Amino acid sequence: MQLTPDIYQRIVAAKVYIDANYHEPIDLEQISQQAFLSKFHFHRLFTKVYKRTPHQYLTQTRIEAAKLLLAKEGISVTDVCTMIGFESLASFSLLFRKQSGHTPQYYRNIAWLKKKLAKEEPKRFIPHCFIEQYKI
Amino acid sequence: MVTKFSHTTLFVLDQDKAYNFYVNILGFKVNTDATMESGYRWLTLNPPEQPDLEVVLMPVLHESMIKSATCPDGFDEESRNAFKVLLEKGILGAGVLYTTDCRASYAELKAKGVDLTEPKEQFYGIECVVKDGCGNWFSMTQPKEM
Repeated sequence: MQLTPDIYQRIVAAKVYIDANYHEPIDLEQISQQAFLSKFHFHRLFTKVYKRTPHQYLTQTRIEAAKLLLAKEGISVTDVCTMIGFESLASFSLLFRKQSGHTPQYYRNIAWLKKKLAKEEPKRFIPHCFIEQYKI
Repeated sequence: MVTKFSHTTLFVLDQDKAYNFYVNILGFKVNTDATMESGYRWLTLNPPEQPDLEVVLMPVLHESMIKSATCPDGFDEESRNAFKVLLEKGILGAGVLYTTDCRASYAELKAKGVDLTEPKEQFYGIECVVKDGCGNWFSMTQPKEM
């Protein structure tokens, strides 16, 4: 069954709400309220549209935000955990590892190393034919 | 044997504007952002769920790429103008973006001010045309479920 434009607007509004508020302690109740739908109905429609549950999407959004923060300097892993809406460092580390394949600290080390190399030896990241052809 | 694309190039008129569209609006992730001595910025992005593909945002009008004594293989005036004309007209089809739901992506991108057409049913799925505002257009398609 095709969804109406109005339902699409509501589901998208809830998704945009997650994008803007992932760092807050939001739950399905609050998210479904953005769509003016019951929790059950909203959960079913969101999952149909985005091929993942609202909770999976919220977790994924938080983990992606964590990656950006971990790549920055001056923010501890514990602070990153709090800033993206996790209450427990242990559950953050577990989910981060599950989604990215690495611990937050390992991910941070790699991100910092890449940033350092990009600054000191930028050509290391460019296929040589591009450098030759375009003289960049 | 060749198995997949690792890098692909998108020529753009304005790299900063392209960054905003692909990163802040479409949700692509920055893979590499490195500035050369010449001032040329090597900027590559990964589509949100495609970490092994780097999309190179290539600023076609950057001065380091123009033919000169130090860059004899660079773009000559004619090639540069040709690129500029094609990009300014926005007539270059750059590929197909996959979406889990075309109508939902349409509603979200429309609200964000993106230039795109209404979704249409095709025999292969639901599709609309999205412009990046930097010279390229894409098909945004939700393939039909088999």
